[in-house]
Amino acid sequence: MTDFTPVQQERFYEQRTRYSRPGFLIQIAALAGLAVIPLIFPSFRVMDVVAKIMIFTIVVASYDLILGYTGLLSLGHSMFFGIGAYSLALVIYHASEPCWYHLLAAAGVALALSIALALVIAFFSLRVKAIFFAMMTLALAEFTDILAVQWYDLTRAEDGVSFKLPGIFNLGWSGPPIGGIEINGRLMTYYFILVVSVILFLLMLRFIRSPVGRVLKAVRDNEPRATALGYKTFRYQVFSIVFGSGIASLGGILFAMWVRYVSPGSTLSTPIMLNILLMVIIGGLGTLYGSIIGAAFIKITETWLPDLQNAAEAIFPNMVILHRLAERWILYFGILFILVVFFFPRGFVGTAREMIRRRRAMARKGR
Amino acid sequence: MATDARLAVSAGSAGFDAKKWGTWVFSVGIWLIPLLWIDFITYMTLTIAGVTMGALLFLTASGLTLIFGLMDVLNLAHGAFFVWGAYAGFSLLNYLDTLGWVEMASLGQSMGSLILVLLTALVVGALLGIILEKVIIRRTYGNHLKQILITMGAALVMTEIIKVFWGPNDEVILVPAAFKDSWDLFDIVVNKFRGVAIVVGAAVFLVVQLVLQRTKLGIIVRAGVENREIVQVMGYNIQRIFTGVFAAGAGLAAMGGVMFAMFKEQLYPGMGDETLIFALIVVIIGGMGSVAGSFLGALMVGLAFNYVAFLVPKLALGVNIMIMAVILLIRPNGLLGRK
Repeated sequence: MTDFTPVQQERFYEQRTRYSRPGFLIQIAALAGLAVIPLIFPSFRVMDVVAKIMIFTIVVASYDLILGYTGLLSLGHSMFFGIGAYSLALVIYHASEPCWYHLLAAAGVALALSIALALVIAFFSLRVKAIFFAMMTLALAEFTDILAVQWYDLTRAEDGVSFKLPGIFNLGWSGPPIGGIEINGRLMTYYFILVVSVILFLLMLRFIRSPVGRVLKAVRDNEPRATALGYKTFRYQVFSIVFGSGIASLGGILFAMWVRYVSPGSTLSTPIMLNILLMVIIGGLGTLYGSIIGAAFIKITETWLPDLQNAAEAIFPNMVILHRLAERWILYFGILFILVVFFFPRGFVGTAREMIRRRRAMARKGR
Repeated sequence: MATDARLAVSAGSAGFDAKKWGTWVFSVGIWLIPLLWIDFITYMTLTIAGVTMGALLFLTASGLTLIFGLMDVLNLAHGAFFVWGAYAGFSLLNYLDTLGWVEMASLGQSMGSLILVLLTALVVGALLGIILEKVIIRRTYGNHLKQILITMGAALVMTEIIKVFWGPNDEVILVPAAFKDSWDLFDIVVNKFRGVAIVVGAAVFLVVQLVLQRTKLGIIVRAGVENREIVQVMGYNIQRIFTGVFAAGAGLAAMGGVMFAMFKEQLYPGMGDETLIFALIVVIIGGMGSVAGSFLGALMVGLAFNYVAFLVPKLALGVNIMIMAVILLIRPNGLLGRK
């Protein structure tokens, strides 16, 4: 084995144990779980939350590529998400009848737009200072939001765009029932989202384990050294930004497919960006799997927190200030966000990995 | 080597600096071009509107220059200070109105309530700034990512607290009676409040510049930015000084907020976000840490917005981003920024 470099050794080890590690079994189990959830829980609410978790996992993971693996803070990821959502909505809305190729056209438009925009942002801001990248993306994201609100003829502003999906994804479509389970358009959309998001997630996993991904980590950890080793760090950073942004726009398309309604508030506004940031931080920076946990945590609290609010109103019916406090659940998101950044900076997966590593080291010492 | 270069730069700024003056002349002169398409009276009206907007933007951006440019703290909670200032002024104006100092005020009373409102906003912003700096920002010096995340969270919390106390809807703010009409200067109609805004903006510019350039405090602040340890060794409590600078920046933002609200005659909790973007653009255009630069940047953004809004209305929102992109291309450090 001494003939191989450490990287090669690690790769061989990974290849040998690929199908026997507990992680692989967990992945299979999770996939199976996602596939049967709509069959077990017929309630729309559960299916809605799970679908949104899958979509946001993709968006958050693509954000993690840029923030966690490349070390660039983008505050405009919601813009790419919104570009995706709006391209599907507008293509179908402005065409007379939804067709199959509209989905493909929307994907093409979304990818082209987001890649072009990502390139422009990268070329303008990375030249100067990494921190200008954050400012630039923030300014552009805000600008896109304003544009969507103001340009009524194209985007229908804050009214939003609601539209119908073609073929088997249409809400009106229903197939033959299989084993007593009703097959309808929503179910088909759910499975489509499942398949696409699994493919995109695997693509991102492949990306970070590729040579490019390794270089990106090197650039993040020590840019002067990576430059000294002869890597054109700028190119790698641009590539990562473009890749992440493109995937985010595909995530936006999935979101539009699921909700069938797109408005600036639900795709482009600052709270969406904050949600994405919060999900990344809670899951753990630089851990792709963390995005699943982050997305799940936020989406689940977001869905069931209003129930808590109703409970508060029922228990204390006469305290107006308390009602107002309960109404403002974004306030608690903000506080949670600050606390997590301070006391839990590695996130769930980061902390868990740290603990496992420490326990292994202890075990090795014990032997 | 680095010190040599810095010495050379400071020596250059003491005498006549051709490049710097060139930047000023160019940045002002370029705004005569719209005269080609606009008749003179409209042009003057637009220019006054643009200078007003510039002055209002400068109030907010100057605070951000202090915090972002000088202290190198990426403060995304700046917009929240702005909103807090606006709401504090709103409440005070409502109270003053019950004393008859706002809606039916004489010139003296109007002046008095304006000054009172500005001071209140300044104090409210500064207090909030002190709290935020002491509780949160202090732990994040030197870590940009953490700063951005933390201040984003703080902005969210502060805006939500506003909604708890004042409600989430648009409100109409009262404006002291003496500033409500307009003057007529040779057919050019000038809103009185525009004049007030320009005067306040210019005054703040002068005060901040004087304090930073001509007082001992300013020297300590600038030195502390260059090298914290040395200033500490000299026996100054740098922590307290930085808290003070942060409070001043927050106070200026709050003042900008109440001025902006009175200018628009309305306010709402989300108004901070848009202004934060404008202020960021202004600071980037002007160059980090340069108060004069952000003054220039604010004027450029204000003027460009007004001319373009008149000539090509659809482009008005994008023009600032375009200016920023162009300036970053030809002058990556901003108009008056240092290397």
